[in-house]
Amino acid sequence: MKIVITGGKHEADFIVKMLKEERHQLIVINQDTEFAEYISTNNDISVFPGDPTKAYVLSDAEADNADVLLALSDSDTDNYIICLTAKKEFNIKRTVSKVKNPKNVELFKKLGVDSVISSTYLLAQTILNESSVENIIKTLSIEDEKIVMVEMGVEASYALVDKKIMDINFPKNINISCIFRDPHVIIPKGDTIIKADDKLIIISTPTEQEEIIEFVKKKR
Amino acid sequence: MKRNKFIVIGSGRLGSNIATQMSELGEDVIIIDATDDSFRKLQESFSGYQVVGDATDLSVLENSYIKHAKTVVITTDSDNVNIYLAHVCYYIYNVPTIFVRLADTDKGSLLEGTYIKAIYPFTLSLQEFMTMYKQEDNK
Repeated sequence: MKIVITGGKHEADFIVKMLKEERHQLIVINQDTEFAEYISTNNDISVFPGDPTKAYVLSDAEADNADVLLALSDSDTDNYIICLTAKKEFNIKRTVSKVKNPKNVELFKKLGVDSVISSTYLLAQTILNESSVENIIKTLSIEDEKIVMVEMGVEASYALVDKKIMDINFPKNINISCIFRDPHVIIPKGDTIIKADDKLIIISTPTEQEEIIEFVKKKR
Repeated sequence: MKRNKFIVIGSGRLGSNIATQMSELGEDVIIIDATDDSFRKLQESFSGYQVVGDATDLSVLENSYIKHAKTVVITTDSDNVNIYLAHVCYYIYNVPTIFVRLADTDKGSLLEGTYIKAIYPFTLSLQEFMTMYKQEDNK
């Protein structure tokens, strides 16, 4: 894949390192001349120093027709302009923007940025998950929150313990995709028996998520 | 919903003078700027409202009656902010008339396909120079 990485500090450095191992074609642009040099020597890759909100910089870096562009600068508006220029003038297929203001996640999507990441938003989610007093319930949303993945620990008191999956009267649209039973990973079938201390990975839609959690937590 | 507000974003020399003149013409003007100090440039005849805040924050725009705007004029000192705000006014709030000041003529292409109108001080200065030069030359 041809990937353009614009702006950003250590996150840019980290992503460059990660993607380089996967042998992608990387175009790195950074406005901060000193940091551009740092990324360059640190990863043995050429970095274009320049302001990526300017079309001629993207043009000089030959960013056209790239598969993905990442906008990682500290300014939300700059990131928007970079993504917009990428789509409108350089035929770049997918744009990903970092935002500082979590309220901009929805807004940027409405304005046509394909994927928007807010570290504050993710942090808030993680804190909520980690500080949960319940037996580990972790959720992860996929495809713009149309699908959620729920991870639930099974306690001995739950009604579904020691039952076969096919004998449990699950609500509609529930799919236990995976059971983690230390150290094994089980892809469940109808005759798989759920045990205490199992970790269930469940895929569902956000609307059914609550119902499913309630169902699994039902006591005997 | 009645659209009767004339909103100016960025109270620099241009923004504040547009706000004053439109206010004199009887428009219901609201001017937004991130710093309180900037409003000193408004003339005494300005009778509209001043809002201190960062216009890239939607709550600031909404508190400034953006949903009731018939016209928005955007003149902050950053082209990137100006284009971003113009798009927010166009795509999110469907403001019927939008003017934006841009220093970099190359950035105008980002407004293609919209009815947003751009003002380029560079182009205007160049034209003015050529006119003045020709007048001098004819003497």
